[in-house]
Amino acid sequence: MKSKIIWILWLSLTYSNLAFSQDSKIVEEKITGLYPGITFSRFAQIIESGSDYSFYFSQDDVKDIQVNISAKDNTLSQILGVIFEDTDLKFSIDEQRRVFITRNNRLNLELPADFFTKSLSSSIQDSLQRQMDIDRAYSRNKLYVIGTTGTQKEALLQGTITGLETGEPVFGAVVFERVNYTRGISNENGEYELRLPVGRHTLFIQNLGGFVEQRQISIQSDGILDIAIEENIISLSEVTVNSERMSNISRPEMGVQKLNMQEMRKIPAVLGEVDIIRSILTLPGVQTVGEASVGFNVRGGAADQNLILFNHSTIYNPSHLFGLFSAFNPDMVESVELYKAGIPVQYGGRLSSVLDVKAKYGDKEKIRVTGGIGLLTGRLTVEGPIGEKTSFIIGGRSTYSDWLLNLLEENTQLEGSNAAFYDLNFNFSHQFNDKNIIKFNSYTSSDNFRFDRDTTFRYDNLNFNLGWTHYFNERLEGELVFGRDNYEFGIEGRDNPSNSYDFGYQIKQDFIKVNFNYEYDFRHKLNFGASTIRYELRPGFIKPSGLESIVIPEEVNQEQALETAFYLGDNFEVNDQLTFGFGARYVLYQFLGPNTARIYQEGLPITPPNLIREQTFGSGETIQNYHGPEFRLSGRYILNNISSIKAGYNTGRQFIHLITNNAAIAPTDIWKLSDTNIKPQWGDQVSLGYYRNLKVDKYEFSIEAYHRSMRNLIDFRSGATLILNDKVEQAVLRTDGRAYGAEILLRKNTGKLNGWVSYTYSRSLLRTASEETAEKINNGDWYPNNFDQPHNVVLIGNYELSKRFSTSINANYNTGRPITFPVAKFNYGGSERVFFSDRNAYRIPDYFRIDLSFNIEGNHKVRKLAHSSWSVGVYNLLGRRNPYSVYFTPVNGILEGYQLSIFAQPIPFITYNFKI
Amino acid sequence: MKIRIVYFVFVMLASLTQSCRDPFEPELRETNLNFLVVEGFVEVEGESKIRLSRSTEVRSTEEPQIEIGARVFLTNGGIEFWDFQETESGTYSLTGSFDPNQNYQLGIWLSNGRQYLTEALEPIITPEIEELGYLRDEEGVEIFVSTKGNDEAQFFLWSYEEHWIFRPGVISFLIYESGGVRNRKEEERIDRCWNSNLFPKIVLQNSSRFEDNTILQRELVRIPNQSEKLTQKYSILVTQRAINQEAFDFWEILRKNSDDIGGIFSPLPSLIRSNIKNTVDDTEPVIGFISMGKSANKRIFISVEEFIPWPVFIPEYEFCQVLQDTIPPATDLISSAFSSGDRMPARALYNDMGALIGYLAAETRCTDCTLRGTNVKPDFWED
Repeated sequence: MKSKIIWILWLSLTYSNLAFSQDSKIVEEKITGLYPGITFSRFAQIIESGSDYSFYFSQDDVKDIQVNISAKDNTLSQILGVIFEDTDLKFSIDEQRRVFITRNNRLNLELPADFFTKSLSSSIQDSLQRQMDIDRAYSRNKLYVIGTTGTQKEALLQGTITGLETGEPVFGAVVFERVNYTRGISNENGEYELRLPVGRHTLFIQNLGGFVEQRQISIQSDGILDIAIEENIISLSEVTVNSERMSNISRPEMGVQKLNMQEMRKIPAVLGEVDIIRSILTLPGVQTVGEASVGFNVRGGAADQNLILFNHSTIYNPSHLFGLFSAFNPDMVESVELYKAGIPVQYGGRLSSVLDVKAKYGDKEKIRVTGGIGLLTGRLTVEGPIGEKTSFIIGGRSTYSDWLLNLLEENTQLEGSNAAFYDLNFNFSHQFNDKNIIKFNSYTSSDNFRFDRDTTFRYDNLNFNLGWTHYFNERLEGELVFGRDNYEFGIEGRDNPSNSYDFGYQIKQDFIKVNFNYEYDFRHKLNFGASTIRYELRPGFIKPSGLESIVIPEEVNQEQALETAFYLGDNFEVNDQLTFGFGARYVLYQFLGPNTARIYQEGLPITPPNLIREQTFGSGETIQNYHGPEFRLSGRYILNNISSIKAGYNTGRQFIHLITNNAAIAPTDIWKLSDTNIKPQWGDQVSLGYYRNLKVDKYEFSIEAYHRSMRNLIDFRSGATLILNDKVEQAVLRTDGRAYGAEILLRKNTGKLNGWVSYTYSRSLLRTASEETAEKINNGDWYPNNFDQPHNVVLIGNYELSKRFSTSINANYNTGRPITFPVAKFNYGGSERVFFSDRNAYRIPDYFRIDLSFNIEGNHKVRKLAHSSWSVGVYNLLGRRNPYSVYFTPVNGILEGYQLSIFAQPIPFITYNFKI
Repeated sequence: MKIRIVYFVFVMLASLTQSCRDPFEPELRETNLNFLVVEGFVEVEGESKIRLSRSTEVRSTEEPQIEIGARVFLTNGGIEFWDFQETESGTYSLTGSFDPNQNYQLGIWLSNGRQYLTEALEPIITPEIEELGYLRDEEGVEIFVSTKGNDEAQFFLWSYEEHWIFRPGVISFLIYESGGVRNRKEEERIDRCWNSNLFPKIVLQNSSRFEDNTILQRELVRIPNQSEKLTQKYSILVTQRAINQEAFDFWEILRKNSDDIGGIFSPLPSLIRSNIKNTVDDTEPVIGFISMGKSANKRIFISVEEFIPWPVFIPEYEFCQVLQDTIPPATDLISSAFSSGDRMPARALYNDMGALIGYLAAETRCTDCTLRGTNVKPDFWED
């Protein structure tokens, strides 16, 4: 025991040197005493009674701490350093000998050294977020008059501090007035209070991490001032990057990529509009089969293995105009996170990735209007507060004209064709009180194409949901969300009255989920909940249109299913270095009637002769059950301040499959639920990563390697027909998948020149499952998947030429995707026929593209009608004719190969954006 | 419908985005693209024909090679052997009668020593064609077939041959011969010919989709309005064969691979299977699928009388007319007009008194139907 105390003392001395340099100028009282096995509260009382110190802390934070210390002429800092070692509690001591104990972050009581000397520092000018400056300057300099003139000498100012972008309460922000240094600190709900003499004051609001906001107030009587502060701007912007950069090293999960709007704005876009899907394609491990294709492939996974969430809504078709635009209005989006490996335990149902697009809920301070106009589309967003507790955002985007198409029409046979789309978002959040917030999200989009006068394509997304967040107490937070997602596709054929038809399919899913976050103690953070989805699919129908039509109505049986999951995750911080994430889900899936199940002879190929019987099930009867566990395991070990290693293992199950035999997602593709014969997909992933920051966090380096195995994937038998096929199982092959690769990312976050370069090696292979006897593709050997593109290099560079003028470059190289070539020809049945190579034995030529864009910001005058910016650039600067597809067509009796390029020339673009 | 959709999407993308197409010549790794191609059907009763050829590289301009001098035989599991005779280059024929309840194998020994053997062939007796009929509609005449399958015969393949009479743009009964013009004899007629289409498309249908395996009025051929096929008389011979599912899939894939290949959204091409294997190296690709059974045939004739009026339009004859210059009946003038062969006498002109005053000419390509067909009446033709 004695030796231990001595050891602690020694440790505390060294520790104080490390941790307390900043406060060393305060002369601290020396403390001597024996504190044997008492609670921290008791310890604080003793110190308070024996000295000038006063303690500020939350009982919950310190309830697990036992003080067991013998002090002899130690400073309080040294003692606290020992006590809080190996915990996430931090402490600060100010000149008035007040001790603030906070979790995770130290309360920064210092103002920046240059705080009183500069208002708009050069670092502010340097910021990437000039737009924000304007708005901030507005709030900074405006005089807020609070209360009515009365007899009071002193008034109580209360309010809530929230993040400007997140709308979430900011905990631990210091609000102070600089004449008397009166201070208030916001609690975990962002609330602060401050007692001030009546009159004019300049309030400073300092967030943890050292950035300062200010407000001019004239307080007359008790009143409320809610303050929204930027979490990542200016002086903060560097801090944020640092913290994010550190988070790269320290966050326990791996394979997570985050992009914020600022970063996405800098990536040159094909038609001048910030495009979320295109932006994530610049991240390592994310690839696409080609331009103008819907969907993306993550770590060798198929496009249908990505769960795309837009504020809880599942988006089945994330694009407009067959992939030219992504479905997300950039003004609505707050941030985007892509989980490639460490998929959080609350998500499931897809094997490859989760793309979590977070939308905004509106500005809480004032009404803002943002918008833009580009070559094809225009967009407008209005957001703002309604009263004190409600904020909304409503945004729309639409093609405003198809003049471009008309222009092209002159040289084509596309008479009467047109293309149009729109999307609309409406979100709001309402805070009932400190503990209850509701949030409503809605999204709808519609696409229409007509290629000649008589065939119209159409697809629509419609999603809405309502969420209720409840804070039970400081440690437990729950969220309940329910909603509906609907996706429809249709073709209207009006060729002539006798064969007019309507073709379509529909996915409808109703979901409800409940998620809890619970901070059990400082080592364990729990995440648990349940979710259930009820699917209703119409996998395809065709019906006559008009009285004269003789089209025979046909409909593939509707499908119903229920997918339910329970999950529990624990983020366990063993010590500062070592953290584990444990997560498990149990998924139950029921394929429900009414429907007809087909039972085939076990062990024989699924073909009509092996059909034993058909069984009809009534409404709501369970036709098939599947269930099983999923695991999410991760571990992180911090090697030193600048590097860490992480490893992860996770498994997943997927019950809804995209039935396609194209390389890209085509409009006629349908989704299919697992049934008696089509088993759920199963996959796992092992990943390992090393993360390191260089040159004082200027550069960030990471390398991740992974291996995935997948079972029960779907590939197609030779000659499969998929449209309106009631017996899809007879057209598909059970297939195993395997994907492996490595991703290397080097990123420069700061400076005038910033950006990243990434290299991805990734393979994705398929093999007809050994138990599948109907057909063996390529003799049952491994063969490349349609989107197997081993090498991928991306360079994103931004250079700020001046405050208002910046330029970005994006370079992209990909191995060509695999393709099956016709290799030989022969005569058969009276015609010339072609003989194809093994499946995917060849590749189309490699892909290489450079884009360039310039962003020109409007001037920085505080008072003007609108802040505007221009984005001009060139897509495919080199005009390289990157093949999208290769096809063969007979010309004068010889089968000639052609490569089709979609964006074959440099495409200039210009977009005007504004913000009022 | 899918094809149509695919096409539209394709056009849409192509136009919207300034796409362009460039020639593309892949470098093929396969060095040997000279695969054996086996085509034919083994008849239980009557003549069986097997054609052997070779595939060529896909961009080759050479005609496909014919495989000659091979030994082709049928065997019932090595007990008995029946050898085919090479009747034409690459075509091997066997006439015989075989027990439809036995299994057989077709063997092919090439002149280069390689040996191939089919999987066991189970003969299938094809049900008779119940009806071979036709229907007039807005767009022309549709010829259809009806039949009834059974448990053994569910997958049907139809092939057919068409023959029809057509007439040239200018009718002439005259012939130029050694400086003079005379009337043509019957066997010299050029005003009426037969044309044929011997290798049209293959039609497939699975009868199990229908009640009682009944295939009702499956469209085989469509004769569009103004087609020359119904100038006067038309005949079609339909061969109906019941095949097993593997063979059916083979033909279906063959059709799909030819119909739509390689468009942006077109389905991935499929591998074609074969039931013929090299006896030594069973990974050697062989193209073809041999079936055995008894096929059913039916021929019908269709006369234009039923569809009158049936205007005929033959593009080759679009601008054909009798030329207006009269050629006097003098030997030297006639010779200079017709000896080159570009023109033919089309009309004889007589004065009121009935005396020959000359001839009117027409271009040979407009007058001589044998340039597009044959004036020899086929053996089966019924007037």
